[in-house]
Parts: sequence; structure tokens; C-alpha cells
Amino acid sequence: MVDAISFIVAFASFYGIFVILAVSLNLEYGYAGQPNFGQVLFYGLGAFVGAIVAANLLPYFDHLPIGNICNAGAYTVRTSIGSSDAGISLGVWAIALIFAMIAGGIIGLVVSYPAIRVKEEWYLSMILLVAGEAFVIVVENTPQIGCGFEGVDGILNPFYWVSNLYASSPFAGTNLGIDLPGAIYAVVIMACAGICYFVAQKLANSPYGRLLKSIRDDKVAAESLGKDVAAVRRRIMVIGSIMAGLAGGLYVYYLGTATTDDFVPAVTFTIWVMMILGGYANNKGILAGAFVLTLLERGSVLLSVIIQPYFPTFNAAVIIYLEYSVEAVILLLLLLFRPKGLIPERRIQTKAYELFDFSKAAGQKADASNATIPDTTVAKEQGSAS
Amino acid sequence: MPLDQNDITLRLENVSKSFGGIKAVNGVSLTVRRGSITGLIGPNGSGKSTLFNIISGVERKFSGNVVFDGKRLNGLAPHKIFDLGLGRTFQTPRLFTGMTVLENAMVGAKNQRGESPLRAPFPKDWEPQEMEVAKKTQDQLKVLEIAQLYDKPPSEISGGQMKLLQLANVLAGDPKMLLLDEPTAGVAPRLAQDIFLSIEKQCKEKGTTFFIIEHRLQVLFKHVQKVYVMHEGRIISEGAPSEIVKHREVIDAYLGA
Repeated sequence: MVDAISFIVAFASFYGIFVILAVSLNLEYGYAGQPNFGQVLFYGLGAFVGAIVAANLLPYFDHLPIGNICNAGAYTVRTSIGSSDAGISLGVWAIALIFAMIAGGIIGLVVSYPAIRVKEEWYLSMILLVAGEAFVIVVENTPQIGCGFEGVDGILNPFYWVSNLYASSPFAGTNLGIDLPGAIYAVVIMACAGICYFVAQKLANSPYGRLLKSIRDDKVAAESLGKDVAAVRRRIMVIGSIMAGLAGGLYVYYLGTATTDDFVPAVTFTIWVMMILGGYANNKGILAGAFVLTLLERGSVLLSVIIQPYFPTFNAAVIIYLEYSVEAVILLLLLLFRPKGLIPERRIQTKAYELFDFSKAAGQKADASNATIPDTTVAKEQGSAS
Repeated sequence: MPLDQNDITLRLENVSKSFGGIKAVNGVSLTVRRGSITGLIGPNGSGKSTLFNIISGVERKFSGNVVFDGKRLNGLAPHKIFDLGLGRTFQTPRLFTGMTVLENAMVGAKNQRGESPLRAPFPKDWEPQEMEVAKKTQDQLKVLEIAQLYDKPPSEISGGQMKLLQLANVLAGDPKMLLLDEPTAGVAPRLAQDIFLSIEKQCKEKGTTFFIIEHRLQVLFKHVQKVYVMHEGRIISEGAPSEIVKHREVIDAYLGA
């Protein structure tokens, strides 16, 4: 059954996660010019690390033996803790997210280290693409890591206990018509996305943003102006990977399961379409691009559910895959009509412009187009006098 | 008269560089005096730009020694060489095309606090310095007469203005010495003269040393104290402009061979 509220909750959760991923890719590629074709690696890594940390810590904090996290018994234990103990649920959730971010950052550094000193950034992008695929294959075939093909499941929403709390409250009889834990968690995801967006905006509109763009536009020139290009590229990969790891950790707690099926390369390229659609090097554009693509993604799922009863012999789930065809059309139309995206790149907004915008306004007021020249002579006289 | 060691900013000792079987630079030794404007001329393909790439660290595999301010530069990355106070420009201006003129000219400023990703999110920390850099950049752009273009992207300014902007980019780092690769190529004659006047002003007021590759000899010769002539990877002649023009080899290199 599909209703408006649960659609909005799911939409908000996915939108928040996609915004984090797209903001992270935009920092790496839009600002720093480092094409990352392995975004899904850091996303998947965050999800699996988050799930594994949670599966180990939940019984640990409840003084129960950890054992094999893949057992049905372990599943029962962690879902029962997750649905009853608020403190442990939230504490473990926070720790799992921190580990997901740390894992993203470390692997971002390790994977990019060998290739980052190569002048041509596409080598690194190829290595990342391969690393993303390798990650999936390794996890699938090494059950000791993340329970193989099954994945790690039973990672309950960190606010799941709220529904039990509600059930035992005096209002229990009334039907809220809403999945309370899901709604709270959607708000939390959106808040995390908001923080990432805010940080990205701050980074972009600063001398650091200028540094990133200079490296993107001309590495040789940036290096000859004293910029340690390899170090800057390394750091932005770490920052981007931390964000992607966070998105993975949030996602696994939303879905309840970490499985390799969710981390195929197509995810990376969906994030790329968000960035291309929204506009490179413009975080506002990223919000718009992620919105359109989330709508497409969620919309196709919704559509398949809605039309299924009308076509009993047709497997409506295939409609979900139309998403990729529509993405292709979006890409083609963009390249034809709006190559810079919905919201093109803007100048870096720091206070430095105030000085110039003010001078310009003053110059226009005086109606002297070369009002700058007397200023120069004054400055020079002061210079020689001192 | 032997020069005092402190008088020499840049010294090259027997520098050679081959590409495949071709010796692009072949045993070049030269010195550049502190606070001087020195020229480097020679026909196309004589190895001038390769020599600049070697000095500035873009080309790091070569034999011989490059000494700047008493420090050996061999093997240092370009950003380290810039930090030591040796800046350069390129024959074809290399500008940051996605950024405005002002942003371009501010990138080169050294030790910007806000360039650290940990400090960038806290504008209070770096804004005072940002304003100082902006003021200095504004003065520099005014001297070069491109201040009014501050919010234009490099694609919307003229070729000559690009040359000036590139000069502003590298001057932002307060270099002690500048290598300029054809600062007036593709620039209107009057502007070429202006560019050299700003170079001379910079040299006199701030004591910056200049080492300049230039094909416009009549402009160059008016402003330099000394000229080196390169031909087929070697220095074939050196001296004051008035002496250089009389050298047989120079005339041969330019007109014949």
C-alpha cells in the first residue's frame, strides 16, 4: 500500500543520502577536478563498516556474547536490543557512523595515494572504478567480512524503540498513520545532509575553494604558484570519502541491511548525473540535481507499485530500470542545451569582492571610467615615501 | 672584475637536458645578478623554454646544477621553488579559466590561512588576511591597469590583458626573482612597451630580479642590462645589448645557419 506520507518519508531519506553523495563528488570533481568513478566504493564501505560495527557492538554493550554476526541467533539478539534499548541503539548508531566515516577517509587516502602524483587525474579515476568493483567481489566471496551474498541484516533504525515506547503509552490506541521511527530518522538524515551541504559551502567560498578550483583549471600553473597539488588532491579525496562513508552508514541504518547488490557502479553514475544536471562547482545546483534524480528514482518505484494491479500478467518492477534510460536522455539533453547544468558555476563569494564591488560602485557614481588611475599614483607616492 | 657571490641571484652550472637523442640544452652555464633585468634570446627551438622549465622545476631530470640564492634547486618540485621566491610565467598564458580575474590574481598569495580545509569553514579566522590580500591584489591590478576587469573570466579579456593577469598571478607571491617567458608575444606594440615599463618599475621599486625570454629585441634591449644568446642548446654569446648585436654568431644564428 502506498500512501503520501510514507512516500515523503522514503523520499526524504533517499534525498538526504543522495545529497551527501553528490556534494562529496562535487567537492572532488566539480571543485578539485578529480574524477571519482568509484564513489560507490566509499558509500558501500561506509555501509558495511557501519553494519559490522553495529552487529558487533549491540550485543557487546548488552553484555551478551558476540559470536558469529551472520547467525540467525545474532540477528534476533540485535533486533531485540534495537527495538527496546534506546541508549544502546543510539550510542551504537553514533559509533557506527563515526567508524563508517573513518573507514571512508582512510581508504580514500590509501586507494588514491599511488596514483595521485601522476599528473593525469584519469588514472586515479580508473583505479577507483576498479576498486569499487573489487570491493563488491571481495565482500561477496569472503563471508567472514560481511556475511557474503546475504549481507549483514537486522540493523534496525536507531529510533526503532520509539514505536515500542509509543505502543506502551496512553495514546497507543490511536493510529498515527505514520511510521514514527522512519519519520524521525528521515529528519536526522536530512539534518546530516544539511550539515554536509553547509560544510561544502563554507569550504567552497573561501581561499580553500580558490585553491581547489586553481588545481582543477590548470595543475601546472597552480604548482608554479606554490601549490602542493598532490597534497591538495589527496586531502580533498579524504574529505569526499569521509562524506561518502557517512552516507553509507546512514543508508544501512535506513534499509536495515548491507548487501553488495546496492553498491553497483550504476550508483556512482547516478550520482554523476545528479552533479552534471545540477551544475559543477555549485552546491545549490547539487541540491536541485539530487532532487530531480531522487524524484525519478522514487517515482519509478512508486509507479511500478501503482500500475501493478492493473496489469496482473506484467512484472511492473521492470519499470524501475527505466530510470537509467531516462538518466541517459537527461544527460543528452543537458549536453545539448545546458552544458553547465541547471545552476552554473558562480564566483567564489568571499569578502574580497566587497572591496572591488565598492570601488566599482564609487567609480560609477563619480562617472569617471578611469577613476582608478589617480588612485594608483597616490598609492605609488605613499609607497615611495615610506 | 669577479662578481661578489652575494650579487648573484641565480647561477646555472653546466646544465644539460636531452629529449631522446636531441640535446635541447647543452652545457649551459650562466649567472643572473640580483636586482637586474637579464634577457635570454635565441631562435625558436634553441632551448630557452626548456631552460626555464629546468630552473622552475617543471623539468626535473637534467644534469648540472641550478643554484638560486645559494640553494641548490635540483629535483625540487615547482611549488617548493616558488616558495623560495622564484616565480615564472608561461609562453602561452596559463590562467585559471573557471575563475574570475580577481580570484586568479589572489591564488598566488603565500601562506593563506583559509587555504587549509580545517580553517576554511571559519571565516573569522582568515577574513582579516583575505582583506589584506585583496587590497594588495587591487593595488597590483591597478598598476597593471586591469583592475576594472576583476569579475570577468579570463575568456572575456584580451590576449594582452591575459599576459598582464599572468604577471599579476605570479607577483601575488612576492617573488624575489621572476622568469618571464615571452611576456609580450601576441601583444600590441604599445602595450608591449607598457609591460616592460611595469617590469622596470617592479624591478626598481621592489628590487625584483627578472630573467626574460623575448623575441621583440628592440623592446627588450631598451630595458635589459645583460643578454644571453642561445642557439641549438648552447649559450653562444653574452653581454650588454649594444655588444650583442655586433657578434658574428648572433647574426648568423638569427639570419642564417
